[in-house]
Amino acid sequence: MTNELDPRKIAQLLTQSTRQLDEATLSALVNARQNALKRQSVRAAVFALTPTSAHTSARWTDRLIPHSAQPWIAAGLLAAILVAGTSYWQHVQEQQIGELDVAILTDDLPIEAFVD
Amino acid sequence: MQNYVVAVFLLLCLTSVPTSAATQSWRSLTPTEREALAPMVQQWDTLPELQRHRLLETAKRYSQLTPEQKQRYHDRLEKWSKLTPEQREAARKKYLAFNKLPAKEREKVKQMVKEKQARKAQQPASGVSAAPVTNQQ
Repeated sequence: MTNELDPRKIAQLLTQSTRQLDEATLSALVNARQNALKRQSVRAAVFALTPTSAHTSARWTDRLIPHSAQPWIAAGLLAAILVAGTSYWQHVQEQQIGELDVAILTDDLPIEAFVD
Repeated sequence: MQNYVVAVFLLLCLTSVPTSAATQSWRSLTPTEREALAPMVQQWDTLPELQRHRLLETAKRYSQLTPEQKQRYHDRLEKWSKLTPEQREAARKKYLAFNKLPAKEREKVKQMVKEKQARKAQQPASGVSAAPVTNQQ
């Protein structure tokens, strides 16, 4: 029984069977393989933009978030980071201007000395 | 990739609301802010939003000032707020440039300004203002 389940024998049998397939079936299989490879390459390009490019991460993101929503979520995160960064920069700028204005308003020299 | 670019653009359009503080009326100010900005009570509600925001920034530091500085702050506040935004920006630049001068140079300039002020006080009808500090860099 164990001899019959030898993987090498199974492989040989499959190879022999494949050779016996007719042209139409073979070309259908080739087409199916090419289509599958095309889909695979598109997925790889999409997930290359995510922080972890491991294949497993693609699977869990697919399970958590619908594929169509992923660009929007990534874009939302990017936009949030940009808005937060700009707000922080503006806040720091305004603080510096405030400090400078107080210094001018309380300096030994009158305002006229700094105004044309 | 195109999807990402379009999505980022649309979300930025949606989120790019003005980040400055909302307009604050005189009534909504805290007692500390009102004390600091007391000379501005009449014109406060007519000031542009950015100017109010910047004056509020200065008011935050009011409590840390000495009594003498508080007096100067109050005396100058109205004149300062009457300047154009360009004049205020130019004054800031000039102040920064002045503070980069060596201490000796700064003292010289201060002495000159004080002398001019004294002369002006003696001749109130002349209408000559103190000479502006020249950028000596």
